[in-house]
Amino acid sequence: MSRYHQPHDTVSEYSDIRSWRSASLIDRVYVGYGLVVVVLVVLSYLLGMLGWLPSDPDGMDLANMLAGPLTEGHILGTDYLGRDLQTRLIIGIQAYFLPGLLSIVIALALGAALGVLSGYRGGRSEIAVTYVTNLVDALPRLVLMLLVIAAFKPGIYTIMVVLGLTSAPTVAMLVKGKIQMLRQRNFIESAVALGISPARIILKHILWYNCRALLLIQATLGMAEAVLLETSLSYLGFGVQEPTPSWGNMVQAGANYLLQGNFWVSTAPALAILFTVLGFHLLGDGLNNMFEGKRQR
Amino acid sequence: MASPILEVKGLSKHFAQRRGLLSMFSGTTAGTIPAVDDVSFTLAENETLGLVGESGCGKTTTGKSILKLMPVTAGEIHYRGQNITSLTPGEFRPLRREIQMIFQDLDAALNPKMRIESILHEAIGLREPELDAEGLRRRAYELLDLVNLKKNKLANFPSELSGGEKRRIGIARVLAVRPKLIVADEPTSALDVSIQAQVINLLRDLQDQFGLSYLFISHDLPLVELVSHRVAVMYLGQIVELGMAQRIANAPRHPYTSALWSSLAEKRSQEAVTGTAPAWGVFDFERPSGGCRFAPRCPVYAARGKPAACTDPQNAPHLREIEPGHAVACHFPL
Amino acid sequence: MSATPLLRIEDLRTYFYSRAKQAFIRSVDGVDLDVARGETLGIVGESGSGKSVTMHSALGLITATPGVISGRVVFHDETPRDLLAGLDTSARLERRDDRIMAVEKDNRAWQKQVERNLDGIRGGKIAMIFQNPKAAMNPYETIGAQISEAVRLHTANKSPAEARERALHWLDAVRIDSPRLRYDNYPYGLSGGMCQRAMVAMALAAEPRMLIADEPTTGLDATIQARIVELLEELKTRFGMTMVLISHDIGVIARLSDRIAVMYGGRVLESGPAAMLLEQSEQGHPYTHALLASMPRTQNVKAGGRLPAIEGEVLDTINVPRGCRFRERCQRMHDGIRARCAEQEPELVEVTPGRRVRCWLYQA
Repeated sequence: MSRYHQPHDTVSEYSDIRSWRSASLIDRVYVGYGLVVVVLVVLSYLLGMLGWLPSDPDGMDLANMLAGPLTEGHILGTDYLGRDLQTRLIIGIQAYFLPGLLSIVIALALGAALGVLSGYRGGRSEIAVTYVTNLVDALPRLVLMLLVIAAFKPGIYTIMVVLGLTSAPTVAMLVKGKIQMLRQRNFIESAVALGISPARIILKHILWYNCRALLLIQATLGMAEAVLLETSLSYLGFGVQEPTPSWGNMVQAGANYLLQGNFWVSTAPALAILFTVLGFHLLGDGLNNMFEGKRQR
Repeated sequence: MASPILEVKGLSKHFAQRRGLLSMFSGTTAGTIPAVDDVSFTLAENETLGLVGESGCGKTTTGKSILKLMPVTAGEIHYRGQNITSLTPGEFRPLRREIQMIFQDLDAALNPKMRIESILHEAIGLREPELDAEGLRRRAYELLDLVNLKKNKLANFPSELSGGEKRRIGIARVLAVRPKLIVADEPTSALDVSIQAQVINLLRDLQDQFGLSYLFISHDLPLVELVSHRVAVMYLGQIVELGMAQRIANAPRHPYTSALWSSLAEKRSQEAVTGTAPAWGVFDFERPSGGCRFAPRCPVYAARGKPAACTDPQNAPHLREIEPGHAVACHFPL
Repeated sequence: MSATPLLRIEDLRTYFYSRAKQAFIRSVDGVDLDVARGETLGIVGESGSGKSVTMHSALGLITATPGVISGRVVFHDETPRDLLAGLDTSARLERRDDRIMAVEKDNRAWQKQVERNLDGIRGGKIAMIFQNPKAAMNPYETIGAQISEAVRLHTANKSPAEARERALHWLDAVRIDSPRLRYDNYPYGLSGGMCQRAMVAMALAAEPRMLIADEPTTGLDATIQARIVELLEELKTRFGMTMVLISHDIGVIARLSDRIAVMYGGRVLESGPAAMLLEQSEQGHPYTHALLASMPRTQNVKAGGRLPAIEGEVLDTINVPRGCRFRERCQRMHDGIRARCAEQEPELVEVTPGRRVRCWLYQA
């Protein structure tokens, strides 16, 4: 038996199109969690940059080596050299934060530009951009990264530029798709007919009003990619080198101690990676569902 | 007589028909679809010219071509004596304000993420960029008054409006830039019957108040007869008859016009309407398209024993005046 | 009235529920209709009037929730059958101030019951054709296959060969060109008009006692519309088909209907013989009169070229006012009845033989 109840006699005229209120519970959880992660990451990054750290990242507390969480003085424990894990995790964020931002800025800017070029102008631009984007998209990213690293031994920023470039096609295709949808509704045509300049149509109507959701979501996904890439590379030994901490190399270094039964040294940074990447992904997923209105309360 | 506000001469718009990859190898030529083929007419100030025809006849394409929303294949468009055909988009943009379009799709002009207030303010700002917030609001109120909408609609999003309200906002947006010529593409088709009359009255009032000229595109024949001074009938991209509205409706001279008007469900079909020819009025490249395009469906063609003049590619019927102010493209007008 | 009607709809209510607004959309709010044998009933109304939903409800095609919540649809076949039987047990209504404010319904049990009620009737004894024929037909099967399927399901011709013959017969009956060729066509290969004919053929193939046509001419070109109207006319004269024709196009309704029902905001406001209702006299419901007068036709044009338009917006069936639904747009209220129009909704009463009107102007 299902029950349907109308509490009020008169119904408001306004439809509820504000996404948050009509989002389902699960999407709110996703977005909520994601936002918590983002805030934590940003805060920690800033704290790290300002030097407001709980302890010295290189300071070795020889009395408390390989300590587990909630040890006195070390909330998250210490590693095999007695260095405070919490501090090192905070510093570790710096390994991927700015480079990650760089990659998403490149992906979004280039992707949006290409998407607009192919969607708005159409014709030969569209064919050319589609060719190029399909080509780039077809390259296996990890293999490409390893090739680039082997050939050029680049720094993390260069790697992130490559990440950004290889992520741009996805963004371009999404933007182009959105434009084609707007085309269907004579939307762009009527803006042109009114006399609005093409620049304003592209920037305001297409990108800001209609693409900002998808660009935001691509940004979250891009950040997740960047975190995974940086930590993978430093795990493999290609990225940040000891003693500078990166979540990846912390996992690597701690792996030696797993067999001895000291799980925490490796697990703590691994969990950090897990929860952070999960946070960005869920944020993107939740936002996507909210803006597309797929799941209603 | 004052010079016309709009003069269209020999307008043609051909769409390339995309053939598949294989046809590139098989050597068949890519055909073009002559959606608009050598169309000519004039529109005087304060006049309403109706443009009727069935779907696919090219009336919407004609309207969009006049607004330069698509490049024209051939012909000229003169607005107030100025040839606008070859103007670049940049050169044309200032003139765009004077030539506007009401789109068939009710949602066309409305960005679903923008409130009505923002939509109208943007349009107003195009013509009066120096206005401040107070000025914008005042002008927006004026526009809402013109189209008989309540001020509280400004806070709404397009999805919260009914069909009739969306149509009015579309009209208000167009009025914000003070046009002289409006191409109205099926302005009433998506609306309920009781709302249609409201919109028709509104358009008429606006024409009187602002001295507007309308190109009124519609497939609703009695409606066009009602609102237009003159009517042009299109078939497969060509104008087949052009004259005063009453004459076109009550004493048509082209067999297609006659078939069109007598197909109204209210009136009984007359003998003139053929029941045999199955051609559905689509561009068919298998069939030779020389000569008169209506011939395969034309009852006069059949009745006269299929005269060769009608299908002769060298002798295609052109629009010629058979009475003052009334032109027909037919070798054997009724 | 003499003979029992072939189909009688009594107090039908179909509600939908908007979660976002926490309110009912009262699409069909107490509709009574009769269809006599051999006659064509035209149901005319604007958007939101409930005309389509009424007939869809009658055939159990409404699956959205809560859907049909009350009413009877009696089909007088050999024996009278309530197509909505079982509704009383599956649905419970709560009223407040004489208006339904809560519904409890066992949707799954009800759907099962409806399928049982309608077995053999839907598609068989009562056939339906829909707006937008290309979308209504299966795009993955040829039209011939679909028509044959109808034949095999609902008639005694079970073998594929027989079914094919009958399918071709019906394709011919709807005057489609080259039936043998069209048999193997897919819906996307046919034009709108041809597809509509094919759908009519599919409906007829079941040899139904009644045909429901839901907006059969909408979306088609003017000349094609005329053809479809002629086809439906032929069904009346040649087969004596009982028809329910739903349309917002008054011209089509006028040409084909024997009787007309005018719907607005989920209710029937007026019903009666077609000729009488279309007279544009002031003897019927103000809505009917105003609607006919506002149509863009030359005879309606007043001084200054204006049309007498009905002011206001079409009723939104979420916010149904108290009293008469047409009150806010009605021009013919006078002080004697104004109070009543605001408080109480009138009943549908017979004002002249055969003509029923829901208006206080005609009731004491």
